[in-house]
Amino acid sequence: MTVPFLALFALFFAGPLIYSIVLSLRSPLTGGFAGLLNYRTVIGNAEFWSGVQRMAYFGAVQVSVMIGLAILLAMFLDSPYCKGKRFFALIYFLPYAVPGVIAAIMWGFLLEPDLNGALSIPAKLGLTSGAVNPLDYRLALYAIMLIVTWEFTGYNMTILLTSLTNVPRQALEAAKIDGASELSIAWRIKLPLIRRTVLFIVILSIIGTLQLFNEPVILNDIASIGSSYTPNQIIYNTAFSFGNEQLAAAQSVVLAAITIVATTAFFGLVRRHVMPRTSNRTVA
Amino acid sequence: MATAAPSRRVGLRYPVLARRFKITAGTAALVIAALYVLAPIYWLVIASSKSATSLFSSATFLPAKQILWGANLHSLFTYGGGYFKWWLINSIIYAVVTATLATAVSTMCGYGLAKYRFKMRGAVFGLIVGSLMIPATALVVPLFLLEHAVGLTNTYQGVILPLLVYPFGVYFMSIYCADAVPDVLMDSSRIDGAGEARILTKIARPLLMPGMVTLFLLSFIGTWNNYFLPLVLLGSENRFPLTVGLSAWASDLNQPGAGQPLYPEVIIGSLISVLPMLILFPFLQKYVARGLSFGAVAGE
Repeated sequence: MTVPFLALFALFFAGPLIYSIVLSLRSPLTGGFAGLLNYRTVIGNAEFWSGVQRMAYFGAVQVSVMIGLAILLAMFLDSPYCKGKRFFALIYFLPYAVPGVIAAIMWGFLLEPDLNGALSIPAKLGLTSGAVNPLDYRLALYAIMLIVTWEFTGYNMTILLTSLTNVPRQALEAAKIDGASELSIAWRIKLPLIRRTVLFIVILSIIGTLQLFNEPVILNDIASIGSSYTPNQIIYNTAFSFGNEQLAAAQSVVLAAITIVATTAFFGLVRRHVMPRTSNRTVA
Repeated sequence: MATAAPSRRVGLRYPVLARRFKITAGTAALVIAALYVLAPIYWLVIASSKSATSLFSSATFLPAKQILWGANLHSLFTYGGGYFKWWLINSIIYAVVTATLATAVSTMCGYGLAKYRFKMRGAVFGLIVGSLMIPATALVVPLFLLEHAVGLTNTYQGVILPLLVYPFGVYFMSIYCADAVPDVLMDSSRIDGAGEARILTKIARPLLMPGMVTLFLLSFIGTWNNYFLPLVLLGSENRFPLTVGLSAWASDLNQPGAGQPLYPEVIIGSLISVLPMLILFPFLQKYVARGLSFGAVAGE
């Protein structure tokens, strides 16, 4: 029963992965074994590291905002103060059905001053010298944050909401009888009970951030924000614009390693707070 | 509450007002968030009816004076030899075939892992969980080279085969099977003389159907929305899915000398590629949400 999966896995997953490592050890010029030559090139490649750095900043800002927003929305929808819970839950989840490319096209056009008159309102009021252009090089990173937040907040909220509905009702009833306010129930009871889910979606978001590709590619098509904005774009260009597959393989192995290190580091950082305490310290 | 003593009424009133205020404020916040989600979709519907000139001259969020859906659709399906029609058909082929086969392969593997004890079982599980950590990027470049060597690039199967490796699907199904198919039922079927294949197709399959629907939908949406893999593996326009085709048109918007920019076509093409799923989503939401939450909630 497991044979079809394992055969496909060997051919289209494990095979390419191993080939990627083999390729990364070969010389781009001769194709012969070159040791760590390509890895030295990656380490000295300022463009690649500025891409990684940009994603680190992107992740710190965007993932925090998005997860915060998702928690807030899920808590609201799970509280007794919410009317039309099912309706809102559906609306927020809708962007999951929209391909990243289409989301980037929609937002790219909406953030284009020629197409959206609202962006010239500040100029008309004399606040800025020209129309606000969220797609210029300086602001494009924030435009991408806006798009990615639009795409994935509802997705994360949906996961959190399912987790919240599994919170034992007795715990909530008990807190209510003790006179706890909804706010403190959300903060002190619900949030700690869904912390593993929060950890799970943060890790998924970190992996997603490091692989960012569709949105910057489309925005570059619409507004020329630059073609080496993210590590993934750089890898794509190295392989397909410059035909240097060996270096691209080394870059993708390094990116995979960064992903694993980043997620493990984050996990290690918060593990203390998320995993059940096993300490047998006695209370004095 | 109505029988409360008059002296306490003032004290009771305040919480009622506070509660009403909280509901209003909360709902207002939810409405603002909903507008953020709906604004670009609303804009897409409005803008898809406008001509190229009116896109740049009319009010962004107001409907066009002249609704040009007919003209824009005609131009969408006929421009450049009618490629768009093929992109639409290709997207349907990629998504339907991938989702069907990926569901079958993952269900079989998950069922095997859940219901049979064999030597390498632990190793297979380890492989599946470990592979969730590997970003797709690390696979795409070597995948292109390997497929190129055997002539799989630029073919339907070249795009579909890698997408059949769906480790999350196997993980999901192995846990789903463990719950949905009782061992007792399998044993009694064996006593009745049913073979293992018959048990899977006749006894287990109906019980696994809801899980398979979830898996089919996740794989379908994932394939429909995929961009990076087909972009790398496909070279000729008549194999493109919608995402790759529309991005190719979008990349001509800013190219000097690429001819007339295709603003109306890109916009109405985008609408066509999201509309079916947006309409079906209210009915599918339940299944999709259950699948997504699975990894997170299973660990609680």
